[in-house]
Amino acid sequence: MNDFAQLWEGVLVEVQGATSKNNFSTWFGGTRIIKIEEGVVHLGVPSPFAYDWLSGKFHNEILRALRKLNDHVRALEYTIVKEDSRKKVEEKKKVQDLTPTISMPLENYYINKDDNLNPRYIFENFIVGPFNEIAHSAAQTVVKNPGHSYNPLFIYGGTGHGKTHLIQAVGNHIKKAFPDKKVFYLTSERFGSEYLTSLQENKAQQFKDKYRKYDVIVMDDVQFFSSKEKMQEELFHLFNTFHDTNRQLVFSSDRHPNFIPNLEERLKTRFSAGMIIDIPEPDYESRMAILKAKLETYSISLPKEIVEFIAENIDGSIREIEGLVNTIVHQIQFKGKELSLMEIKALVKNSTKPKKNASVKDIVKVISDFYNIKEDSVYDKTRRKEVVKPRQIIMYILREDFNISFPSIGDKLGGRDHTTAIHSYEKVKNDLKTNPILLEEISQIRGMI
Amino acid sequence: MNIECGQDKIIDGIHKAQRIAGRHPTLPVLSCLLLEAKKNNTLVIKATNLDLGVEIVIPAKVLKEGTVAVPAAVAYSFLSSLTTGGKDIKLEVDGNNLLIKTQHSNGTIKTMSHEEFPNIPRVVAGKEFNISSNDFIKGLKNVWYSASISGVKPELSSVYVYQDDGYIIFAATDSFRLAEKKIKLKKAVDFGQILVPFKNISEIVRIFEGINAEMSISFNKNQISLSYNGVYLVSRVIDGVFPDYRQIIPKEVKTNSVILKQDFADAMKISHIFSDKFNQIHFKIVPNKGVFEIQTKNNDIGENLQKIDATVSGDETEINFNHRYIVDCLQSIDTDSISLDFSGPNKPLVIRPVADNSFLYLVMPMNR
Repeated sequence: MNDFAQLWEGVLVEVQGATSKNNFSTWFGGTRIIKIEEGVVHLGVPSPFAYDWLSGKFHNEILRALRKLNDHVRALEYTIVKEDSRKKVEEKKKVQDLTPTISMPLENYYINKDDNLNPRYIFENFIVGPFNEIAHSAAQTVVKNPGHSYNPLFIYGGTGHGKTHLIQAVGNHIKKAFPDKKVFYLTSERFGSEYLTSLQENKAQQFKDKYRKYDVIVMDDVQFFSSKEKMQEELFHLFNTFHDTNRQLVFSSDRHPNFIPNLEERLKTRFSAGMIIDIPEPDYESRMAILKAKLETYSISLPKEIVEFIAENIDGSIREIEGLVNTIVHQIQFKGKELSLMEIKALVKNSTKPKKNASVKDIVKVISDFYNIKEDSVYDKTRRKEVVKPRQIIMYILREDFNISFPSIGDKLGGRDHTTAIHSYEKVKNDLKTNPILLEEISQIRGMI
Repeated sequence: MNIECGQDKIIDGIHKAQRIAGRHPTLPVLSCLLLEAKKNNTLVIKATNLDLGVEIVIPAKVLKEGTVAVPAAVAYSFLSSLTTGGKDIKLEVDGNNLLIKTQHSNGTIKTMSHEEFPNIPRVVAGKEFNISSNDFIKGLKNVWYSASISGVKPELSSVYVYQDDGYIIFAATDSFRLAEKKIKLKKAVDFGQILVPFKNISEIVRIFEGINAEMSISFNKNQISLSYNGVYLVSRVIDGVFPDYRQIIPKEVKTNSVILKQDFADAMKISHIFSDKFNQIHFKIVPNKGVFEIQTKNNDIGENLQKIDATVSGDETEINFNHRYIVDCLQSIDTDSISLDFSGPNKPLVIRPVADNSFLYLVMPMNR
């Protein structure tokens, strides 16, 4: 980049001598070299007027100056580029004190109609920390050579950990770096509902063709394919077409494909064919970084101890951090002054959801859903194997994470004896030492509670 | 250059073009109009501020071809002050001066070197469609006041024009309020979407309003051009994405009210006198008592309570808005009655003309 700037600086010095001062500052202001490819210099100009003027009146002079400084230059091409974004930061500050009217949550709805991608999800504003650096570097590898390095790329992690941002950034980056590749982003839910509509309207073939014309498909939340056989089949065929022709697929899910209940084996193995990476909860340092970046976008700075306090006390999803920052920004705008640590503490208390406050019923529901058994069967006397294991895990979680007494656990799960609860707890605890799959399952369950 | 042309024609052309010419820090020639007399008996008047460019072709008797750059302000003041209905005007270049001769008046205006006057760009490799100028101008006028003036987000400082299901739709928002106008197309055109910078819209409206004819529009990712009968305007467009605002329109209405537009406008005018520095106005609606009240209070001035005759239904609501944001939309509503739909705290108020779903306006409440 620096070389380009230097080269262009040299050209400007040459050209300046031959033009009037006014002319020079009007037409050459805001120009820069974007790239040099095989001897073709691509010059970025700020407007169609400048394009017209430079290419019409200065083309030969610029080319001559370029050649003088660099003899590999063969040709010169012009591209109209947007103005520099430097100006914007200053303006931002002014806007803040404008109005106490609540603003619309438009940020969430930026969607490009052609590819369904939200253009704000890019690598440039993706904050990389120890928790997501592996996922980030895998994504970087994919965008360098889409379809060839990791295909599919499968990202999983809890809600609000930045999966959607990352996979959309992959889409947006590929779109920019390979303009001839057609990228499309969708959620598995949309895929499913479009598929159903196509069946109802007898347009199954159109549905197939629609997706087969893309070069890159980014699909969010594939856990919703669980138990939907027909859709899984459709995805399977799409998958094969893409994989065979080296077209990139990117998936996200809230859990590892092996733990998506009722997912066909052939899909599981296909998901595993590329790269599967998880994005865990952000660690303290990353939370600090994210928090600082968010505050910066509002050009608000908080004292160091307050930032540290927030990072310590809010954990889990990035969305919660965003929510808290929004609240703080509103409060500051409204009160017109900085908030004290006390006030921030109160806000943090209100905005984080109290941890570990789920009811027994909720836990039973989560775990029985996870293992895909009927909720009622947990309370029944049945000793079928597929029920026994989840029931034991329920008891383990209730004891380990919620500190509920053994008699009370037994009582709540269908009037069982407290010794049953003790046995289950011990059994799961021992199994965990030797069984990594169980360990993984339980950590997934904990993520969902 | 030596030409003769109709007084009304040239005044009209110069009037249209002169507003675009203006002061430019580094290129003084931009404060000029460029007059080009061509062999085919036409006079072309050009003006640009490098963001917007306009070209107007008028018929003229060209005795000698030529080009001249003449300061727009002087030329317009002089020509527009001449008695109307006059006969032909003669324009002749003599050295560095432009001589303008009419029946009763002779003027000599100093000109500038036209060498530096930029070309007005043409839209190349773009999409093209024709549309009734009335429809297009009306659509722009009905929404453009809602665009953001700040420039932080270029896509919000624009009017978003797109087509959907046989309609051409205009939308603009500064994220505090949003206006949308739908106009049924007489014939289907497929043009995708355009973001026109709102700064340029007043000029587009001024130049094309009232021509009452089919105009042709063509655009690519950098610029849009509009042309009709010898008038050609080209503007920058924003290369960006407009938010999918339809998702913000509340799906569930908690409180509905229908009011005569005139009553509402009068009440808003009075309440504004007493509003505070944030322009805050307070709505109170109690459906089972048939109450629709607007309240404003300013600690330095006093306070005011307006009761309005309205049909109200739904839940009781109390909510605050910025006065200006609400009043703005009334200019786009032609019906006698308007409907106000409230959807609860922190949700936008939806204002619509009654029995006309071509216009929609959303306003966000105030944070209190």
